[in-house]
Amino acid sequence: MTALVGIIANPASGKDIRRLVAHGSVFSNNEKINIITRVLRGLDALGIRHVLAMPDSFGLAVRAYENAGVSLRMTLLDMAVTNTSQDSTQAARMMVNAGVKCIVTLGGDGTNRAVAKGCGSVPLVPVSTGTNNVFPKMVEGTLAGFAAAVVSLEVEGVRESAIRPVPRLEILREGKLTDIALVDTVVYDERFVASRAIWDTSKICTVILPRVRTGTIGASSIAGNLPEAHLHNEHGAWLEVALGGDAIYSVLAPIAPGLMASVPIQSVRWLSMGEEGTVACSPAILALDGEREVPIVSGEKIRVRLSQEGPNVVDIGAALRAASQAGLFVSIN
Amino acid sequence: MGLSKETLLNLYDTMVKIRTFEERVGEMYYEGKLPAFDIAAGPIPGEMHLYSGQEAVATGVCANLQPDDPVTSTHRAHGHLIAKGEDLKKMMAEIFGKETGLSHGKGGHMHLFDPNLHFGCGGIVGGGIPQAVGAALAIKKRGEDRVAVSFFGDGAANIGAFHESLNLASIWRLPVVFVVEDNLYAISVPKSASTAVRSNAERGAAYGIPAVQVDGQDVLAVYEAAKEAIDRARRGEGPSLIEAVCYRFRGHFEGDPELYLAKGEKDKWKERDPINILGSQLKAQGLLTDAEAEAIQAKMTDLVAEAEAFARESPYPAPEEALEHLFA
Ligand SMILES: Cc1ncc(C[n+]2csc(CCOP(=O)(O)OP(=O)(O)O)c2C)c(N)n1
Repeated sequence: MTALVGIIANPASGKDIRRLVAHGSVFSNNEKINIITRVLRGLDALGIRHVLAMPDSFGLAVRAYENAGVSLRMTLLDMAVTNTSQDSTQAARMMVNAGVKCIVTLGGDGTNRAVAKGCGSVPLVPVSTGTNNVFPKMVEGTLAGFAAAVVSLEVEGVRESAIRPVPRLEILREGKLTDIALVDTVVYDERFVASRAIWDTSKICTVILPRVRTGTIGASSIAGNLPEAHLHNEHGAWLEVALGGDAIYSVLAPIAPGLMASVPIQSVRWLSMGEEGTVACSPAILALDGEREVPIVSGEKIRVRLSQEGPNVVDIGAALRAASQAGLFVSIN
Repeated sequence: MGLSKETLLNLYDTMVKIRTFEERVGEMYYEGKLPAFDIAAGPIPGEMHLYSGQEAVATGVCANLQPDDPVTSTHRAHGHLIAKGEDLKKMMAEIFGKETGLSHGKGGHMHLFDPNLHFGCGGIVGGGIPQAVGAALAIKKRGEDRVAVSFFGDGAANIGAFHESLNLASIWRLPVVFVVEDNLYAISVPKSASTAVRSNAERGAAYGIPAVQVDGQDVLAVYEAAKEAIDRARRGEGPSLIEAVCYRFRGHFEGDPELYLAKGEKDKWKERDPINILGSQLKAQGLLTDAEAEAIQAKMTDLVAEAEAFARESPYPAPEEALEHLFA
């Protein structure tokens, strides 16, 4: 079977209200086309012969392919374009069924959450073109293409050294899994989804994280910036924000690009795999990976669980190291 | 956002008012024009561009404006003017070409002006954009805390005046908000065949203007973005651009055979009717009942019927006044 790579690029990422309420960059689609062009050239140079791409209304992948001048073949998935995040989930499912070995994503945290709902165990190379970009990496497209090729070609050692499973949060309604989050889940004191983004820390009641990392943007940074965070790299976290005057301390957190807030903390609980809890505040909105998604009406019981079932993610540096060690970049003269 | 029940219901009222007005004008427009379409015949002569489907954009933006905030609009202006708070009788009379209309019946559907609401529109695509920048320059020079807003289509964003306006507004840090209503078409030309960027929000970035893309079918998304943009402008932080992705439920003009639409496309968009989107959100939150929604519809139907009766009963301007009230 030939090594197949999938490409999912979200044309809507990097344009929401955080350009107005914070200082987020507009990510232009012509720049996304440039990045995909470089991904395609990286894949081609390492011998990938066939790429599957998600269609979208602007034709990101098609335009990139026209620019790339590569000999590999690109096929667009035969799917209806809805211009919603469902496109990314659907594309990921179809790519898994078609037997891709790796999927390159272009988007932010929201895009990767949509892909993670459909990609199963196929590893992701997430390239950031979004706003908070906690999950995807700022990486040059050429190198992302190289890494995806290395993973797809199953270069020796790459599986062990470069593919990392990540945890996820599972949203349970009446005990049934209804949604997931890869970066954070926030209980936000609002009733409507409206412009989706969250930025007003006075409305954050609860922050739940699948894993604790320092150096992130968004609600996840509230836990990541706690002094004891470095002791809990293997844990998730459940923070209750002090809405009254009962804070134990406050944390300075970059809640969106260029937007800082001091968030008063009432309690912190570190989560082990499989642990879950009940969301206390309702009515409210659950924001998943930075976007208001799920309205909770009064009296509704929502539970959130930390699980191992998150996607596999490629460590790009490790993949390239494995490739160079295997001599992939060298030819004998 | 934390909107009060009253504000939320006002948004709903305004959208229903616009829809009811537009659908009734759409019916009356055909009186006397058929069977062979005669554009000059009937009580409403001339062209007609209706706003049904895009109500969330005008409503969500104008709910953040004061009567003295200047607004410029387009050939598809009814929704903007209703959302700005215009009296339906004066509007309808103008559309009928009657003496009691906003401009004594001499402007008609495409030239609606009201100095009290600081509102103007016109048929030159993109023509309103520099006018809003001019108004914003005046506001800034006088040191007022007003904000100018310009509504225009995705087609207009390919006109030179759009680019010149953004450039000047940015250099002079003017209190103006550009609202691009991306309804996917300029007449029959899809945006993909006319526009080198996917989103006009990207063009804001080219001029150093914060720009966002919002769901133009969701009035709360529009409201939230518009509030931030308008507040920023009032604080003296300069221009912003909002691209609202929306859809018109009627043709470009009345009589448009719409041969350019893909099969089933409009029905798909109608599943995202802005009135239903807000209605069902309000119902889910216990802020609106079916009976209340019906009562709002009945009230708006009555208001539009009163406006219609007023327009029909009003006289035409006298022939000897034909050259009065004109500016050219
Ligand atoms: C300067 C100018 N060019 C062309 C026209 C003819 N025309 C009228 S409406 C229209 C399309 C406008 O499209 P858009 O700006 O997207 O607004 P929409 O009709 O979709 O609301 C055109 C080309 C015009 N009125 N003015």
